[in-house]
Amino acid sequence: MIEGYFYLLLFPGLVFQVICGLAFEWLDRKLLALFQRRVGPPWYQPLADMIKLFSKEDILPKGTNDLIASLLPLISLCSVLTAGLYVPIAGFSPYSFEGDLIVILFLMSVPTLAYYLAGIVSIGIYSVLGGGRSLLQYFSFEVPYLIALSGPAVMGGSWSVAGIMASQFTLGPFILFQPLGFILAIVGLIGKLKRDPLDIPSAKSEVVGGSLTEFTGLKIALWHLVMNVQAVVGIFLLINLYLGWTKLANPIIAIIVFIVEFLIITGMLSAASAVFARLRIDQLAGVGWKILVPLALAQLAFVILMGV
Amino acid sequence: MNKISIPIGPQHPLIKEPLSMKIDISGERVLGGSLRLGYVHRGIERLAQTRNYVKNVYLIERVCGICSHIHTTTYCHAVEALLDIIIPPRAYYLRALMCELERIHSHLLWLGILAKHVGLDTIFMHTWHDRELALDIMEEITGGRVLHGANQVGGVRFDLDKTHDAMIRSTVQKLKTQVEGLVDVIENEPALIARTKGVAPVSAEMIRKYCVVGPVARASGVDVDMRRDNPLPPYDQLEFSVVTHPDGDAWARTVVRAEETHESLNLCERILSDLPDGPVSTRVPRNVPAGEVIIRSEAPRGELFYYLRSDGTDKPARLKIRTPTIPALCLLPEQMSAIQVADIPVVMAGVDLCVACADR
Repeated sequence: MIEGYFYLLLFPGLVFQVICGLAFEWLDRKLLALFQRRVGPPWYQPLADMIKLFSKEDILPKGTNDLIASLLPLISLCSVLTAGLYVPIAGFSPYSFEGDLIVILFLMSVPTLAYYLAGIVSIGIYSVLGGGRSLLQYFSFEVPYLIALSGPAVMGGSWSVAGIMASQFTLGPFILFQPLGFILAIVGLIGKLKRDPLDIPSAKSEVVGGSLTEFTGLKIALWHLVMNVQAVVGIFLLINLYLGWTKLANPIIAIIVFIVEFLIITGMLSAASAVFARLRIDQLAGVGWKILVPLALAQLAFVILMGV
Repeated sequence: MNKISIPIGPQHPLIKEPLSMKIDISGERVLGGSLRLGYVHRGIERLAQTRNYVKNVYLIERVCGICSHIHTTTYCHAVEALLDIIIPPRAYYLRALMCELERIHSHLLWLGILAKHVGLDTIFMHTWHDRELALDIMEEITGGRVLHGANQVGGVRFDLDKTHDAMIRSTVQKLKTQVEGLVDVIENEPALIARTKGVAPVSAEMIRKYCVVGPVARASGVDVDMRRDNPLPPYDQLEFSVVTHPDGDAWARTVVRAEETHESLNLCERILSDLPDGPVSTRVPRNVPAGEVIIRSEAPRGELFYYLRSDGTDKPARLKIRTPTIPALCLLPEQMSAIQVADIPVVMAGVDLCVACADR
């Protein structure tokens, strides 16, 4: 009983993931600043931003359904936090079961749908445009993302993240066999998080703030938290699926390796947003279906043939 | 899909100055657009009639925040033409030096804004960092980063000494390496090319029909440059090449502006080596003889036109300013068709709007 509350609220649940999310945001902003010859924010900036947003007035346009608008970020936050419970952290996973990868992937796509609904619910031209764009983008990157992530599952012979990680203990880290799949998964994660360079739904110069244009105060703070926790859960998932060095004998070394891998993937995400320009939505759809999907299928075929 | 109309401005993250554009879209396709102006109209032309010629320099400098120097330069040329005086040659050269520095910082600013609009914030940060170098030179020699207070009727209000000369040369050299690196990135960055190439191309006929000037015209292959076609001193003494590009799309405008920055840097060095000795200003009478004059000069955004009429008193009877942004604005609704919503920022950035100039 007590153990259950500990898992849900402290580790690996709410508190741990929120702290990781804020740490991720700070790290990302700091790295991006270094790439751009800026100083970057101090370590407490994400927390300060959140506290400040909590104290702001919460207004929405007239005619907006306030209940739905408040529920959407909450539901998204709950989904990503729940997804985070099933992802092993440095080999520790209290709720692992066969098939949890599918549950995680489902829960991770809830925020995208909620984001679309947020655009429709909050009455505003830019919100509707941003919402429509988020769905279009979702269809472009989600398919290669899912195909890429099924590579490790097929290779590991299990649909449980912990099981896939355990199989890497004998086979070797899957990034050695599926480097392409790993890169596609990173691209898919960037698209999921609507980060630069795949920030088409929230491109400031085109649709102001996308779906979240009309959101303020507590709700926008929750939305930011959703994105950050989602990023953390996505990165943890990639570490477990591709960089299976975490199940080492010594737990301290395992934790250090896990943190280093987390830093490396965060650095990759920051570098991607510093280096690449935003594509147009038609260009993204072209890249997604003509380049990423065939590459993902080729990777999957390679994995299946290797197993035979 | 239904037609909806989205407002861009007067307050929008895309444009930093107040300008309102209603754009009709259907899905992601842009059907057309209409323009509304006048949010920063300050009545400068009328105000100029109530102040004397000397005080007007202060006022004219505030027409625009980016190209403030070329406005006062053109105005001073106009007053000096009415007075029929020749100012010391050193003053002409110092004015030209400031004009070129202004062109460099204006073009770098524009490159940064374009990069930001297509999501390349890194290039934005780097160009604006480099732009500070040009602003540093201006601050060092005139005391002002943006508003320089450098011109007066009859000359300039600053002079260079030996240390300035060395400082400017080394900074210009530094800027040159930076700009070369930038041009290299811009010309080889696939995503930037994908976003700008072939976006809303404007033909040379269209440019002539709307009387568009400056880099936008040159990017469509119309070879106009007031510095060469109708030179104010000292540009008749200086050698430089005018950059043109045949394509007319956003990509061509990027290339033209990047090359022009490079050309201006060369021009700065040439001005420094040709700089004549002597005084930098001369005394002028307060009252200007009756008459009228037209002066045309090349601002960073194209041809700047000043009409000045005097009735023999110490105040102008009429001052008319026509800035290069006005025809570019007229062209803007024409370009808002057969593009996508994501191209709107590229098109609007492409013409390099200066709304403060246009509204005056």
